[in-house]
Amino acid sequence: MGSIKTTLSGYIGYRGREGHWSFLLHRITGLGTGLFLTIHIIDIALVYLQPGAFLDVMGLYRSTLFGLGEIGLVFCVIFHGVNGLRIAYFDMIKPKLWSIPTERRSAWWILGITMILWVPSAVWMLVRLLQENYGLFR
Amino acid sequence: MTSEIAPRVVKIASNYESLSWKWMRISALLLIPLVWGHVLLQDIITGVFAMDLSYVALRWASLFWRVYDALLLAFAFAHGMNGLRQVLFDYIHGPDGRRTVVILVGMLWLVVTLVGFIALVGGVNTQFPLK
Repeated sequence: MGSIKTTLSGYIGYRGREGHWSFLLHRITGLGTGLFLTIHIIDIALVYLQPGAFLDVMGLYRSTLFGLGEIGLVFCVIFHGVNGLRIAYFDMIKPKLWSIPTERRSAWWILGITMILWVPSAVWMLVRLLQENYGLFR
Repeated sequence: MTSEIAPRVVKIASNYESLSWKWMRISALLLIPLVWGHVLLQDIITGVFAMDLSYVALRWASLFWRVYDALLLAFAFAHGMNGLRQVLFDYIHGPDGRRTVVILVGMLWLVVTLVGFIALVGGVNTQFPLK
C-alpha cells in the first residue's frame, strides 16, 4: 500500500504540466472506458443469457445518473482516442516530436480537438436526456 | 529543459513487452474507426432510449454488424485488458505480484471475451417470452 501512496502523492505533486496532465487524463479515461467496456460486454450478453435482465439494465441506463455518466464516457472515448493517435504518431513515425515544447503545444491541440468533437455530442445527448426524463425542449 | 537533444534510435530484440507496446498502438489505429463509429451510432444517433431487444435483433440480423461487433469485442477488450496490465505493472514490481496480475487479468480477459462471443453467436434469445 505504501507504493500506492507514493504514486498518488507523486501524481499530485509532480510538476510536469501538460505532459503530466495528458498522461493522467489518458490513464483515467482509459481505465474508465475499460471499466464500462467490461460491464457493457456483460449487459449485451444478457440478450442471449437473460433477455429480461437486459431490459432491466436498459431501464437503469435511461436514468439521469447513467445518462450523465454516458456523456462522461463519450468524453473518455474521444479524448483517449485523439490523444492515443498523438502517442502512436509520435512514437512510431516522428519520435523527434517528443520534445517539451512540442509535447506541451500538442497537448492543448488534443484537448481542443476533443472538445470540438465532444461538446456537440454532449449537448445532443443532454437535450435528449432532458426531453425523455423531464419532458423539456419538446 | 531543452528541446535540442537528438533522439537516439535503439534497436531492441523483440520480446513480450515490445510486442505488447506495438499491439497497443496498432490496435488503437483500428479502434478509432470501430469505437468512434459505434459510439456515434449507438450513443449519439440511436441513443439508449430507443434500445430494446428488437433493436439488437434487427442489428444482429445483418452479418456486417455481427462481424463489426466481433472485431470491436476482440480488439477493444484485448486493448483494454493489456492496458490494465500495464497500469498495474507500474505499481506492482515483484515477480509474484506480477504473475498474479497476469493470471487475474488474463482470466478476466478470457472469460468476458468468451461471454461476449457466446452472445454474439447466439443472438437475441427468443426462448424467453419477450413481453
